[in-house]
Amino acid sequence: MPNAIDIENFSYKYPDGTAALSDITLKVEHGQKVALIGPNGAGKSTLLLVMAGFIKGTGKVLVDGLEINRKNLKQIRTSLGSCLENPDDQLFMPTLFDDVAFGPLNMGLGAEEVKERVADALETVGLAEMGDKAPHHLSAGQKRAAAIATILSMSPKIITLDEPDGSLDPRNRNNLIELLSRLSQTLIIATCNMNFAAALADRAVLLDKGHIIADSEAKRIMSDSKLMNEHGLEVPIIDS
Amino acid sequence: MHHAHIDKFAYQDSVIHRLDSRVKFIVVLVFTAVVISLPRTSLSILSCYAIGPFTILVLGGIPLRFVFKQILLVSPFVVVLALSCPLYDRTLDTVAFGPFSWQISFGWMRCFTILGKFVVTMLALIGLVSTTRFNDLLTGLQRLGVPKLLVIQLGFLYRYIFVLIDRAHHILRARAGRKLRGLGFKRELSTASAMVGSLFVRSIDTAERINIAMQGRGFDGRWRSISKLQIRRTDLLFAAISASFILGLYFFVKPVLQ
Repeated sequence: MPNAIDIENFSYKYPDGTAALSDITLKVEHGQKVALIGPNGAGKSTLLLVMAGFIKGTGKVLVDGLEINRKNLKQIRTSLGSCLENPDDQLFMPTLFDDVAFGPLNMGLGAEEVKERVADALETVGLAEMGDKAPHHLSAGQKRAAAIATILSMSPKIITLDEPDGSLDPRNRNNLIELLSRLSQTLIIATCNMNFAAALADRAVLLDKGHIIADSEAKRIMSDSKLMNEHGLEVPIIDS
Repeated sequence: MHHAHIDKFAYQDSVIHRLDSRVKFIVVLVFTAVVISLPRTSLSILSCYAIGPFTILVLGGIPLRFVFKQILLVSPFVVVLALSCPLYDRTLDTVAFGPFSWQISFGWMRCFTILGKFVVTMLALIGLVSTTRFNDLLTGLQRLGVPKLLVIQLGFLYRYIFVLIDRAHHILRARAGRKLRGLGFKRELSTASAMVGSLFVRSIDTAERINIAMQGRGFDGRWRSISKLQIRRTDLLFAAISASFILGLYFFVKPVLQ
């Protein structure tokens, strides 16, 4: 079985010449929950965009065994669901139902199956009765859950989440941790919040200035206070 | 942040809310066209036409205070236009109401007619928007043959106008927090243009991220949706009553009142 993500010697520079990612080699197996940790500007979000095929650079990138190219892109985006940092960017349709149905409809599924998938996805994130709501009527926590539902309805094998805990209060953050813990998919979570990462991930990849600094068991990396401090991070309070 | 949404009553349930959006849209379109085409000396028939949208608003459970607030919000442009009429048309005419009669210029009559038409058509429009979910309206427009691109644009406009308003509020608040004295007209103008510029740049950023979100979920330029609209007997009955009301007033009551 191919790896969920297979990146070899990948480098990318921004249009102004600044190196965003340098010589990245990363393999993620199916079923793993990986936290991409690092300070602001480390390249975490850029790396997630690379995995989803939105950024091209030099090096090899395989998603579920498929090389990212024009021919494979549709298949790759069915296998890998990307959840953006701001749920307002993710939820662009007039109602939640339409937003969650957007992906399955683009996959070419029939109306009945789409309805079933939407109902399942909304049920999973705890928004079963809110399909008719407009996204701007949802709270921050509901928007985050809804954004995840838009991905779940496509039944991807891999889910990438960019700062999913951003602007959530502790209750909503705990709800999100509980929701993400229940998912069986491969999760790759970019976050600056070490408590959030520690609560979810079994593996951590520390990025800084576009380089992978450390890649190991989450607890081991996050309990290394010297390493964490050197890269502007903190040791998590829980699970350390 | 919570806004006073234009469609905040569209999620209620009433006999009017349950009507098919296409039927409501066509009725409002025909109603508006007929009201606008009324001659300038048609104040009495205008007040008869107001009964239609008024009934819809009452049956739909839309508070009239909310309706008149919305009308007031958009009235300045029309009021300026209407008030300019008496300035250039001062020909006098005699107006009779029961046993009373008095003289008034055509300019003022035109002014009152413009205001009357504005209020009546706004009542109908607010009746439509407040009793129809925007998404149903979009689906209805699409099913009526309105170009998909236009429908998509309207959908994005509706979705992101609230995000944009939020951002504008944040920027205004940030300015208010640091603006401790009057800056003078020139500085105020340059600050305002910088704020608009910032909103514009952020809008472009947002558009790029939405594009990523759409492509990430398999969007290939073709818009797909599941239509839940269905025309039922009540919709046909509503269409028939509306047509009788609009045309009946136009062909039978208007000639009597003029």
